[in-house]
Amino acid sequence: MNQIWIIAKLEMRRAFFSRRALWVYLLALFPAVLFFGHGISVQYRRSEYAGKPVTPAAVLDRIPVGTPDTEVLATAGQPITDRKWRRRDLDRRSLQYFDGSNRIWLEFENGALKSRNRRTLNSFDEDSKVYAGVFQFFYLRLAVFFGCLGIFINLFRGEMIDKSLHYWFLAPVRREILLLGKYCAGLIASAVIFGGGALLSFSALLSYQSSADLQGYLQTDAFYHGTWYILSAMLGCVGYGSVFLAAGLLLRNPIIPALVMLLWESINGFLPELLQKLSVLHYLQSICPVAPPLDPNVPPLMRMILAPAAPTSAWAAILGLLAVTALVLYAASRTVRRLEINYGTE
Amino acid sequence: MAVFKRGYERYNGPLTGSATRFLAVPRFVWPKLLGQRFVVILLVLSLFWPLLCAGFVYVSNHADLLPSLGSGGDDGIRKMLSIDGKFFAIFMNVQSTFAILLAAIAGPGLIAPDLANNALPLYFARPLSRWSYIGARMMVLFGILSLVTLVPGLFVFIMQASLASTAWLQANWFLGQGMVLGFLLYIVMVSLIALTCSAYVKWRVVAGALVLAFFFVLAGASQIINQVLRVEWGSLLNPGYAIYAVWCALLGVEAAEDAPGAWESFTVLLLMLAALLAVLLRKLRPVEVVS
Repeated sequence: MNQIWIIAKLEMRRAFFSRRALWVYLLALFPAVLFFGHGISVQYRRSEYAGKPVTPAAVLDRIPVGTPDTEVLATAGQPITDRKWRRRDLDRRSLQYFDGSNRIWLEFENGALKSRNRRTLNSFDEDSKVYAGVFQFFYLRLAVFFGCLGIFINLFRGEMIDKSLHYWFLAPVRREILLLGKYCAGLIASAVIFGGGALLSFSALLSYQSSADLQGYLQTDAFYHGTWYILSAMLGCVGYGSVFLAAGLLLRNPIIPALVMLLWESINGFLPELLQKLSVLHYLQSICPVAPPLDPNVPPLMRMILAPAAPTSAWAAILGLLAVTALVLYAASRTVRRLEINYGTE
Repeated sequence: MAVFKRGYERYNGPLTGSATRFLAVPRFVWPKLLGQRFVVILLVLSLFWPLLCAGFVYVSNHADLLPSLGSGGDDGIRKMLSIDGKFFAIFMNVQSTFAILLAAIAGPGLIAPDLANNALPLYFARPLSRWSYIGARMMVLFGILSLVTLVPGLFVFIMQASLASTAWLQANWFLGQGMVLGFLLYIVMVSLIALTCSAYVKWRVVAGALVLAFFFVLAGASQIINQVLRVEWGSLLNPGYAIYAVWCALLGVEAAEDAPGAWESFTVLLLMLAALLAVLLRKLRPVEVVS
């Protein structure tokens, strides 16, 4: 254990402070920065709309589609904003009203009301669904995936390219211990970075909610949701990390298995249920506390063949991921035992 | 005579023309790339979709043979079988995925080894400028990527033009032109991304990951910007979307109404290409760094 920790400490410094790690930090912190930015814009909007004229929503809802814009102005009064432009040979106009909590846009084409769009100043339910989507579609699928690719492939393949792996092999430690030490270093670094990123983005999500929403959430699900989000990010590092460490050991070009894995994870939702369970992402999504909404822009044909498998129970998902990781690490330790360095081929 | 007593003599043999000098690099690299198993597998896989499209073109031009369409037939099915801008937009979209994968495999090995082994001075000691060097490396990717984009695209277009009436060609010649222009722009973009990634990180393996990350992460990041900030301009950061918007304009297809238009996308693409080129030129300097 002592040897593992010494190796891990040496490697961790590189994983945390190398120039390449900046890209990993960027990936991990990007959602948090976006949610903080959104929080600032929500607070600015709240103060901006505090003094605006209020038009009752019932008045606007009563106006039928096809009503001329002059008639709408006479019925609903002066809007907050009035925008006119021309696109695809059609005169367009957009009038914005405010009913005290929602902004309502009336969209006109050639002077006749075509549609109305309503958007609340801020909705906690909507934001928590957006967060679930960001977490599952961006954070787990892309940020954790590419972050782990950068960190774990570097551990062995990077040393081979740098022609420095033989220094480790000359040290009086068993190679399995070396492998475990390096894996622990990568795991600690990635888990801290991505777990921290998840915590920051979740805090950013809560930072700008109204006090009533925040109180209600803190008393019910906040702790549970936050814990599972952080845990799933860390488990992502455990699963992807072991695969990329093994890929870096087994193959001269680990990008090919990474590419295959990326494609496999991308088409995961379209695969039969049994095949869906052969991916890291399925288990990570099973752990996530909120299901993300389906993208409304997905074409109907794709929507038809999209059949997400039933989620695995949380404990089964965690045990499954840990078991797969142990198996991959065992295979990697067998490989590293027989590994012969030939820098000439790199 | 002892070797050390031979003085330096200038080479007096024939010189390659300056315009074609940069072709020397692709001549050596192409066979090497085509010798890679994964590149060949990708090239073969990329032919399936054009073959399916060719089959579709054949069926659409022989629709009268279908029992349900024999006598006038169903307008809905006829419309579905028509070869128009949307057909070519979908075709280009699918083939572009293979181009990204090929660039991620073939691109990183083009500049990274030269930088890692300090080989650039050897190139620039010859009558080869930085621009020629970049042109030569881009030529390598242009050749490989054309095999999955331009060549099958032109094959499908020519097949349609020859099977359909002259009236179709007169009305739709812009589809062929749009496809060629769209693919040329796409190849330049993908090649520059691959070359810049290759020059930026020096390690071939990491450069490959960076090419993939460039496309996938930017696509994901643009989506979450749209979702979190409730805006549409985030799509512009996605090179895949930006190029698709330009393709739609070239092929006369209506893009999504609320999303940024073709001119905005084209401007962002040009800015992106300029930034990539600036990074590439900064990294490609004929000096040897000893640290």
